Amino acid sequence: MADPSTRIDESDAPPDPGRRTFLLRAIGGISALIAAALAIPVVGFASAAGWRAQTPLRLLGQSVPPTLRGTGWVSVGKLDSYEVGVPQLVVVPKQIVDGWVTREDDVAAYIYRRREDKVVGYDIHCTHLGCPLSYVEGARRFLCPCHGGQFSREGNVVSGPPPRPMLQYTTKIENGEVFLGPLEVEE
Amino acid sequence: MRRLWGWFEERLGIGPALSGFVDRKIPRDIGWFHALGSATLFLIIVQVVTGIALTLSYVPSPDHAYESVLYIDATPFGGFVRGVHHWGASVLVIVIVLHTLRVFVWASYKYPRELNWVIGAVLMVVVLAFAFTGYLLPWDQKAYWATVVGTNVAGQVPIIGGPLLELLRGGAQLGAVTLVRFYGAHVWVLPAALGILILTHIYLVIHQGIAAPPRLKPLTEPVPGEPRKATYEREYAAEKRAGKPFAEALYIDALVALATLVLVSVLAIVLGAPLDAPADPNSTGFVPRPEWYFLSLFQLLWYFLGPLEPLLITVFFLVAGGIFVLVPFLDRNPERHPRRRPIALGIGAVCIVAIVGLTWLGATGAASGLPTVAARPGLSAQELAGLELFNTVGCTACHTIDGAGGDAGPNLSDVGTTHSADELHEHILTPDTPNMPAFDQLTDQQVEDLVTFLQAMQ
Repeated sequence: MADPSTRIDESDAPPDPGRRTFLLRAIGGISALIAAALAIPVVGFASAAGWRAQTPLRLLGQSVPPTLRGTGWVSVGKLDSYEVGVPQLVVVPKQIVDGWVTREDDVAAYIYRRREDKVVGYDIHCTHLGCPLSYVEGARRFLCPCHGGQFSREGNVVSGPPPRPMLQYTTKIENGEVFLGPLEVEE
Repeated sequence: MRRLWGWFEERLGIGPALSGFVDRKIPRDIGWFHALGSATLFLIIVQVVTGIALTLSYVPSPDHAYESVLYIDATPFGGFVRGVHHWGASVLVIVIVLHTLRVFVWASYKYPRELNWVIGAVLMVVVLAFAFTGYLLPWDQKAYWATVVGTNVAGQVPIIGGPLLELLRGGAQLGAVTLVRFYGAHVWVLPAALGILILTHIYLVIHQGIAAPPRLKPLTEPVPGEPRKATYEREYAAEKRAGKPFAEALYIDALVALATLVLVSVLAIVLGAPLDAPADPNSTGFVPRPEWYFLSLFQLLWYFLGPLEPLLITVFFLVAGGIFVLVPFLDRNPERHPRRRPIALGIGAVCIVAIVGLTWLGATGAASGLPTVAARPGLSAQELAGLELFNTVGCTACHTIDGAGGDAGPNLSDVGTTHSADELHEHILTPDTPNMPAFDQLTDQQVEDLVTFLQAMQ
């Protein structure tokens, strides 16, 4: 009963309830502050790819071709080396950016000489879920090996689940030579 | 030895806790089926141990991932460790499903264990996320294309699909950033989640005790008007009084763990760890297929058609996942014995049949694209030549014969009875519908073979 400092340590009396509430709230508040201070940069960094996404928000979601995007134009050969009406698979080296790496890498595309002077370049991926399309000459179809998607030579959906036509590369013809540009991905 | 233990025990003081742990009473009828839970835990431990070993030689970069896996396989025990990790994942998926089924059939998720079902359901999703992030890591063909499809499925989510897809891939494209993200998720993020969830799951099992297998006739007399809590506690106390020591169950767990280890080791030695050709983003002939445990989902994507497909898929997954997680709150029937839960068990059985059936269809179905029609017995040489053409020039893309082929055009299984040779001739060379291309590039002989073959289809 002498001095209050020893009484607190030795008695079985419950601690001052006001003090206890204050301590627990303070500990909780400080912990929440620390958690937020850590979580904002950590979660922000880890999810940057999501909130900085280039793919626009759409009411209905859709697939995105996985191809590493090339920059600039690359020659895919003479126009006359392409038969009119027959899509042809080409694999050309393009300058690509892969995260922190910029290097030359092969990119595949279907080159389709639609008319004498008209050339289209198609991305090889099905617009349903991105499986690689093969062109079958007899049936004149691009066929998907996954869920039965089919595209015509013009890149339009013939049957199956694909929601939109095949994606195209920009192309140009200069001096009888065909050049493949960037993929036309709508922004 | 005894003195050494005594020295430690004097300082650690865990002896009484250990004795209490192995001696405490559990319901008597707990037996082999309960070992599925401990087998799940055991397999997770095996995955952690072998996974840690694999990180010592694995490089998560497209330049080196595949080669580092080859290097692991060429190192003594390396192929075995990777094999155990690979097959352990498959066996883990099977065992965790069986464990869930055991809990479902015996209604162990009912009061007061609802929370542990929810945690277990989330754990199952985490295990599948482990599987999904894990099999990209070898950076082989199967890995690359399964991840293309898997991330595109995430892209189907309405409105946030694009950002979600890019969050998974680390950008719009699939490359170096994707691989290292999946690696980081596989070895750090998911294990952290797994650890917290498993500790909570096991804490609840120890704290609440193992649920007794259901009885048709309870051990104690029910008291009318008694609250649920009192009924449960009286009955569980009676189960424990008639029970056996926990060491009995641990003994079965140990035997099952040993058998599980033998199983995955045999699989690893006999079948080895598979590795496809290196990932090639330009391979147009490749047929992407996921691991077997995702085949049912892959097959499911056949059945959602039309412009609203992405919405339907998302709603389906949300509803199915929500129902799975919330089973204890949807199933209000207080009965626990299977015979008194016909509706719940019926719904469960339908789900199992659907999942197994979809997996079977996915595993046995031919790749779409150009399926191959098998020869019917007794075809002549010319008819066989026609069949060869039918399979190779692209007819099967749109036409089905005997169950193989596409459905964009008519089924031709009995076309020989409905069309004359002249009509077939005309259809092949000058089709009257714009959907069918003219096969005028074929030689006269080839068209003749094809027509002869089709005539035999009756």
